[in-house]
Amino acid sequence: MKSELLRLNDANRRQFMLNTAKTVLGVTLLPGLSSKMAKAAGTSGPGTPGFGKAKHVIYLWMGGGMTHIDTFDPKEGATKGFGDRIKAKAEGIDYLGGYLPKLAENASKLTLIRSMTSKTGVHEAGTYIMKTGYEPRGTIVHPAMGVWGSHFLGRIKDVTLPDSVVINSGSAYPGAGFFPPAMSPIPISNPETGLQNIKPTTSDSQFAKRIGLMNEFDTGFRKKFQSEDVKAYSEFYDETLKLMKSEDLKAFDLTLETAETREKYGKSNFGQGCLLARRLVESGVRFVEVQMGGWDMHTTIDNSMTNNGNTLDTGFTALLLDLEAKGLLDSTMVVLGSEFGRTPDINENDGRDHYPLAYTTVLAGGGAKRGFTYGASDKEGRRPADKQTSPSDFLATIGHAMGLPVDEVVMSPSNRPFTVGDKGVPVVDIFA
Amino acid sequence: MNTTQTLLASLLAAGLCVGSAFAETRMWTDVQGRQVNASFVKIEGDNIVLQTADGSFHQFALTRLSPEDQAIAKAAKPVESVTASDSSPQFLANATVSQAAAKVDSLVVKGLVKANPERAKAGKPPITGWNQPANDEQFVRRVYLDIAGRIPNYDEAYSFIKSSEKAKRSQLIDQLLDSEGYKTTLYNYFAEMLRVKNEFEADNVRGTPYIGWLKEQIAMNRPWNEMVYDMATATGKMWDKKPDGTYNGAAGYLLRDSGMPLDNLANTLTVFLGTDVACAQCHDHPFADWTQKQFFEMAAFFGATTTRLNGKDMGGTDPMARLMTGIEPLVAKAGLDIKTIRNGLQNYIRANQNAVKDRAMNSTKLPHDYKYKDGKPGDPVEPKFVMWSPEDKGNPAYKQSKKDEEKLRVSFSNWMTHPQNPRFAMTIANRMWKRAFGSAVAEPVTNIDDPNNASNPELLKHLASEMVRVKFDLKQFMRIVYNTRAYQSEATSENIVMGEKYFFQGPMLRRMSAEQAWDSYMTLVLGKPDGYKAPLQDLYAKSIDLNLETVDPQTVLIKYDAYRKIQAKERALMGGGLEMAGGDMMMEEKASKSTKKSEASVMNDGPGKVLTYQGMSLMRASEITQPAPNGHFLVDFGQSPRMLIDGSNKIGNVPQVLTIMNGKAQKMLTSPDSLIFRNMEAVRDPSEKVERMFLTIMNRKPTMNEKDIAKRVLGAGEDGYANMIWALINTREFMFVQ
Repeated sequence: MKSELLRLNDANRRQFMLNTAKTVLGVTLLPGLSSKMAKAAGTSGPGTPGFGKAKHVIYLWMGGGMTHIDTFDPKEGATKGFGDRIKAKAEGIDYLGGYLPKLAENASKLTLIRSMTSKTGVHEAGTYIMKTGYEPRGTIVHPAMGVWGSHFLGRIKDVTLPDSVVINSGSAYPGAGFFPPAMSPIPISNPETGLQNIKPTTSDSQFAKRIGLMNEFDTGFRKKFQSEDVKAYSEFYDETLKLMKSEDLKAFDLTLETAETREKYGKSNFGQGCLLARRLVESGVRFVEVQMGGWDMHTTIDNSMTNNGNTLDTGFTALLLDLEAKGLLDSTMVVLGSEFGRTPDINENDGRDHYPLAYTTVLAGGGAKRGFTYGASDKEGRRPADKQTSPSDFLATIGHAMGLPVDEVVMSPSNRPFTVGDKGVPVVDIFA
Repeated sequence: MNTTQTLLASLLAAGLCVGSAFAETRMWTDVQGRQVNASFVKIEGDNIVLQTADGSFHQFALTRLSPEDQAIAKAAKPVESVTASDSSPQFLANATVSQAAAKVDSLVVKGLVKANPERAKAGKPPITGWNQPANDEQFVRRVYLDIAGRIPNYDEAYSFIKSSEKAKRSQLIDQLLDSEGYKTTLYNYFAEMLRVKNEFEADNVRGTPYIGWLKEQIAMNRPWNEMVYDMATATGKMWDKKPDGTYNGAAGYLLRDSGMPLDNLANTLTVFLGTDVACAQCHDHPFADWTQKQFFEMAAFFGATTTRLNGKDMGGTDPMARLMTGIEPLVAKAGLDIKTIRNGLQNYIRANQNAVKDRAMNSTKLPHDYKYKDGKPGDPVEPKFVMWSPEDKGNPAYKQSKKDEEKLRVSFSNWMTHPQNPRFAMTIANRMWKRAFGSAVAEPVTNIDDPNNASNPELLKHLASEMVRVKFDLKQFMRIVYNTRAYQSEATSENIVMGEKYFFQGPMLRRMSAEQAWDSYMTLVLGKPDGYKAPLQDLYAKSIDLNLETVDPQTVLIKYDAYRKIQAKERALMGGGLEMAGGDMMMEEKASKSTKKSEASVMNDGPGKVLTYQGMSLMRASEITQPAPNGHFLVDFGQSPRMLIDGSNKIGNVPQVLTIMNGKAQKMLTSPDSLIFRNMEAVRDPSEKVERMFLTIMNRKPTMNEKDIAKRVLGAGEDGYANMIWALINTREFMFVQ
């Protein structure tokens, strides 16, 4: 909305003078800034494998730091966890952790990146890096992936729904980053209740009366103050009223699913969040993040994994099968990530601690290979042994699948240059 | 009449004496022994001119003074007229508020005159003078929102509007500047500017003592230069108790950015000196003169400072090993499994390593990717102050010793907060001006490297000198600003485009901030929202604090237990319903103020219940977790997430509109229990009820047309009042500050 853009008051005026309004609002200036990106330029872009295949992305976020050894990169020997690994039913994947039997059964839909490595073992910083590619700074906020999508691909069409949604969180942070706040994902704290405050507290007819009264009482003020700010605010009322009446809202209503379907995803917030993500994607939403907590397993990891493993196993598997059944898995990429892995050695509290040096991410659908392992950690899961992959590369891979120009430099309003995922190189090997 | 003449005429009509200047006052005695307190202006022929504190001039025969005073007068230097020293307006110490406001107005007027050629180029009509004076209804709402951070309640609005007291505006300004609301509002502003948070990055480290410290300083009206000096120079833990019984919260400023010292420095320079150097952190600043080298030279002032203590900082031994060795047998004896609590305990102990300390060595080095000719990666960097102009060389602020590496921060802070630092006073003056007008004289407030780029450079310089003159007394500075004719004008109704200069013909129209909106809702619910305070401020500091060098394992366990109980205690204190609001039913202070408190009784203080409505704590925004929890009204309304300087926004969004239309806060206001209804119950006649409703919500009386609408609505059914309350709260008029 143009009126919001006008409110970017904090742009440095001198810099503002030096640039056209266009660049201030975040438009590409300098493609291909570094040599590393030149390398990327040959491997990404229209026509390259997998580029733009993912019309939708569902990012399953494992908050707290998911143990890699007990889930997608099981080890025998010194660092083996409490559970036994199980054989994965896929040509390109050997084993999964014993807590994930359903995923092992359906491993032929998965691609694993087992050579992830990051720089920090701090939750907030690790999370930020895995969602933006950038290290957190006190002087700028970088956009989340869905917002990059909105920037390059525009607003989703034909629906009143938001471009991106975050489920199981009250916060969309880092949200729009330096882009206009209106591009921020909409947070849904609870998949059962959907959009907060979407229903009037009175009957529809009384609500209509109230709206009418509001406009009557406000006539004088709106006549006197015809500024963009006031108009923009009125536009939000119009947009909200439109949304309240919209058929599209049904996308948020899980009660429209059969009891059987809801059961399949599991009764957890994560499971129901996955189901909501599927409904949203089906209705056109571009980027959905589904959060699941409980991964910070410093103590008695066997217990915690039994619970969390089952929740993840059930929800993730149901999502993949459901997307496939609906013919959406080719156009929807489901990715799974976490801020870091966990220490290969079991600690004195029978748990594992923060470990950014080696961990695993998962991709499925949206053009990714089916049943494939990319890279590897060493024998004990301590370091990447092959094809080391950074959070930036991981995000560039997602950006590539979404069809974003990952090497394009975009200037923030404060005139600093940024790219999707911070100059990562898409891992094109994972695309079919 | 041309524009200039019109402006000057309106100035004179307003009784403003542009040409006055002020010298120091003394007591003058005449031949009859009568005395008057006044300042000397000049001798003209046989007459003397004195100026009294109210700003008026008095001319009389010199011989009427006592012989001693005649001699003094003859020796005194006449004060130069302002017209003669126009470019550098000088005030002396005793200018009254109205004189100082008049001087500011005169500079605003000059700026307005100068603005017109530029406006003409942009196709805008010339400014012919100030906007109309704001009427009492507009004024009372705005001044409450600006100073006290909320709309006035019914009584406050009504009594001001009906008062016929001539000086009622300046009286109200004085009254509000001394109110609780002033403190909470200025706190909100600084909390946003300084990115104040309840939860710091490190486990168990809360900003609570920092928040408490900021509020105390504001309550004392501590001069700004002293506050900033304290923040930049504090050492120790935030929860260290000082001899005067207060906490060392100022340390929170550096601890807030623990582990990010370069970001902290960039923010320090931006916030306090209005110079945006974030770019120079990584490379030479593309649009300013700052180089990366200069950035690191500034960083070197903090190069000996740590915000995370290690064993060496604490007497050379590892306190964790010592304590855990003692704790484990105690836990086992209590029949508990150490595995389930060890991690939590260690995190609890480790919180006490978050302290500011100056070590003996400045360890600042050029970064590994340094690429300029004036240094190599890894080169040590000597501290050096930046200069904005060649004249800064002779500036006394720059005369600071840099010898003692343990005192580098002190040198830096002396330089930064020096009254003659080229940017310190100007930066805060510019920011304070923006609080009143919605636009700063130099935008953005985070970058005023070139003051000549301001919309009114003379005004900017004058405000800076005024800030110095009032000795960084922010309350006094704001008193002057709020008393200007410029501020007391109607809000500007024309559209102002981003990047366009603004000349202060009146304040800008602004949407309420998240905090103003929430606190105004609280006023509609509670009447006087300041009686409701967050409980247990003190508890955290008491239960987290361990002296790692001396504490014994037993005490650690007792205090850890107390620490873990805080949250349960906090929850238990939330209670009371809506019906308790507004009357005398304020929270009752628990009378358990025993003078001697043992470590174990830390839970037994703090105030009583806080009112809640469907899970919302009914308190000022400043009393709620900083920033507010996800999904809170404040978050939907654009409260800063406290990640970036001045990080709030006033942009509408769908969740925000949904909250106003359908949210809990709305339900609370339209429920029959709400204070709005109870205000209306005091009168019986429907038209009087409607008038009260308007005065309560909009702080103005309804227009004839609105009275007709109300009559129609009330004729149509029971829900008429609730519907109107809902409608009024949803108007743009409610949400925007005129």
